[in-house]
Amino acid sequence: MQRSAEDLVVGEMLRRHGISRRGFIKFCTAAASAMALPPWMGPAMAQQLQNAQRPSVIYLSFQECTGCFESFTRSFAPTMESLIFNVISLDYDDTLMAAAGDAAESALAKAMRDSFGKYVLIIDGSVPTGAGGGYCTAGGKSAVDTLREAAKGAAAIICVGTCSSFGGIPFADPNPTDAWPVSSIVSDKPIINVSGCPPIPEVITGTLLQYVTTGKVPDLDEHLRPKAFFGTTIHDRCYRRPFYDQGKFAKTFDDEGARNGWCLYELGCKGPTTYNACATTKWNGGTSFPIESGHGCIGCSEPGFWDKGSLYSPLSATDWGKAGESSPRQVLELAAGGILAGGVLGVASAGSGRLRQYRSEHPLDPEPKDS
Amino acid sequence: MSRLSDIAVRIEGPVRLGGLGRGVAAVLSELVGILERVALGGETATIDLRSLPMSPDDRIELQSTLGKGEVHATLHADGVSTLQETGVSGVWWVEHRDRHGDLVAELIEVTVIPKILEASTEDMAMSACELRTRLATTHKAQAGMDHATLS
Repeated sequence: MQRSAEDLVVGEMLRRHGISRRGFIKFCTAAASAMALPPWMGPAMAQQLQNAQRPSVIYLSFQECTGCFESFTRSFAPTMESLIFNVISLDYDDTLMAAAGDAAESALAKAMRDSFGKYVLIIDGSVPTGAGGGYCTAGGKSAVDTLREAAKGAAAIICVGTCSSFGGIPFADPNPTDAWPVSSIVSDKPIINVSGCPPIPEVITGTLLQYVTTGKVPDLDEHLRPKAFFGTTIHDRCYRRPFYDQGKFAKTFDDEGARNGWCLYELGCKGPTTYNACATTKWNGGTSFPIESGHGCIGCSEPGFWDKGSLYSPLSATDWGKAGESSPRQVLELAAGGILAGGVLGVASAGSGRLRQYRSEHPLDPEPKDS
Repeated sequence: MSRLSDIAVRIEGPVRLGGLGRGVAAVLSELVGILERVALGGETATIDLRSLPMSPDDRIELQSTLGKGEVHATLHADGVSTLQETGVSGVWWVEHRDRHGDLVAELIEVTVIPKILEASTEDMAMSACELRTRLATTHKAQAGMDHATLS
């Protein structure tokens, strides 16, 4: 009797789809290269995955723009379809699935029941908690309730995008929906943050592949991001770095310096304080990244990037030097220290409100004074 | 202005070191060490070229310095891959492309023969099984035809 797709190990699934062992070694080699892993990891991953059961993956979208999912679908190595068909069992994704209504809700319940304790939960979007969670509901359930329920049976949670990782734009002042990152709602599961607005496609698929291959959470930085992708700043690996070192800066987007490819620091580039793989993995299948197209980094993979001052002011004139000031993790750490969450929120909100007021009163003064 | 190459950006040339780009000299130096080790029966090694901060000029220079050797293999598996032994024995320049022809990995392998070219024993066992089935089917069909001819 032929076994169902759910029961197949990865190697059998590959053979069913006409992908040879060599093709799979190549796939893993490309994935290891994209993930900046040592080259020997590719064949080792292929060997390990051949006999592994395809892990169940549940993808939930909350308060988001679907840009992260759009990015996910544009991964070159590995491609999303190669992951879905060969390596993982994508059991629920409301953007991709044909089912709707009760059928979709039943599919989610079945996926959670069948693989309880084993599935990888991917979350895209922040979690609004205002109005009793009423700002984001599906099937009569709020995002926050769905997250809590889905998290119970998850082996690990991968937060795709800055919204689920750090709250993102919905979390930005004045945060009208009382949105929070996943790590503020769920505290008893391993969480991997793949931040970015959106994240680089290969960073999403690479992180997922690395987890399902090894079954372990990769090395993470202080913001729970995989060090393989977020270990260095954009500035560290930027091809314009020699110009920064030489003090050669573009002053406007169309001056002689810009045409000469000089450093974009004075035009607001946040590369020096932004950890991401844009300068190495790049975008669109390794074609280029924003700085290569003449625009500075906006720091979209950092916590609170939207509230740290103008995207076009130099770092020295913004709050970027105060890394993580509005990071939800720090807020949580304070909360854990005994300060009531409501009070903390009030302080954070008042702080950013004061900053905004200061900026409106002192438009020419880049650095607010301590009060 | 419609193409990236139309944007007037001047790129600094690579830093030269004794006639070679700095990145090229570093890779060649690493290759010498690996070759000596592998020649004595030591562990093979792979260098991921995309992980190195090399300029396009460096890459071309490295490729031309290594040259081309006697063996060139093409692998058709989920896209085309080329495995070219360089002029330096045991040093292979490997390019993996996906189904759309995009380069997804570029490596230098230092080994007797790249592992991906070898057939696996599991695949061989499965092929033997398939061949046996085909033979059995052929024999069965032949026996049927012989029986029909006799009667």
